Amino acid sequence: MITKLILGGIVSIGLVAAAVPVFGHHSFAAQYDRTKAIALKGTVTKVEWMNPHIYFYVDVKDDSNRVTNWAIEGGAPSMLYRNGWRIDSLKVGDKVTIDGWLAKDGSNLANMRTVTLADGKTVFGASSGGDAR
Amino acid sequence: MRVLVSVVAALALAISSSAQNTSKPPSLAGSWRVPYTPNLADALGQQPPYTAHGAERWRTVDTAKDPTGTCLPPGPSRVLTSPFPFIIVQQENMIALLFEYQTIWRAIYMDGRKHPADIADYPDFMGHSIGRWEGDTLVVDTVAINERTWLDTAGHEHSPKLHLTERFRKVGEDKIEWTATFDDPVFFARPWSITRTFTRFDDSKDQDRILPYTCTENNRDVQHLVPNQPNLNYKYQPENR
Repeated sequence: MITKLILGGIVSIGLVAAAVPVFGHHSFAAQYDRTKAIALKGTVTKVEWMNPHIYFYVDVKDDSNRVTNWAIEGGAPSMLYRNGWRIDSLKVGDKVTIDGWLAKDGSNLANMRTVTLADGKTVFGASSGGDAR
Repeated sequence: MRVLVSVVAALALAISSSAQNTSKPPSLAGSWRVPYTPNLADALGQQPPYTAHGAERWRTVDTAKDPTGTCLPPGPSRVLTSPFPFIIVQQENMIALLFEYQTIWRAIYMDGRKHPADIADYPDFMGHSIGRWEGDTLVVDTVAINERTWLDTAGHEHSPKLHLTERFRKVGEDKIEWTATFDDPVFFARPWSITRTFTRFDDSKDQDRILPYTCTENNRDVQHLVPNQPNLNYKYQPENR
């Protein structure tokens, strides 16, 4: 029910092709559901460029203007760094659109597939979904 | 004539083996990148040759229980199939492997010592390793690998009886061929091996330097893990031998 409410202002998308595996230090499927793709639009409130995987947080407004803070997980900082991303590639206040997969435990958490800035530039472009299958 | 050929051949062999004994082993020193291999069965081309016990463990494994999910060390072979670079420091009496992943290390004793007699009572997540040169191949023998480690992300497990033999061989200035042989009579009906190739990693460039990986820094994942048993339909087929 809660999920449904939040998803009111969110474009939900169909099955997304598997991301290029970057690396999960554990099984992706023990945390995320690859059959539950989600698209979120909002404003970055916090970035944790930390191990084992980066997390950042986004305020997402639904149709009735209610704001929910979502956690978004990405790849390992060293992997992102070697792919050209930096600690300030994503900043607090940035407007972003995230394509990703929902957490299985029902929390407001998603694993990113892509993060797109307002100007259309894609940042990070790597999930932690380096699952074995 | 035949005798002469034999004598010459024997002499040639003696000379070459004595040259081998006195020649310096190749240098494996430097930084290396490894191909990510989250499922060893993919590298093997099939599931490992399980015992009935090993097969049942594979069938029922819950990947939410992956020890690295709680930042426990990955184990001596899994760390070499994880997609992070590592450094080899080579000295005559010791070869050290220093890993970006989890900021962890392995010491390979090259001074001729044996595994300590009581090592099985004191297992290490990264095992206890002794090494020797066989020609130009570094052969590393590792035991006492904490059974809580997994062999890969897919969930291949092992027992305390796992005996890991690794062979590191330079196959060009910038390549090392690595073969890992897993011998564990509790989980596997016979030893089996995978081979991977490490390529040189130029960490002299700023963007390619070894970077931080302290797993417990912000391991938020752990509170979101849910049971996940992907292999419940696996059917055990013992090998006909």
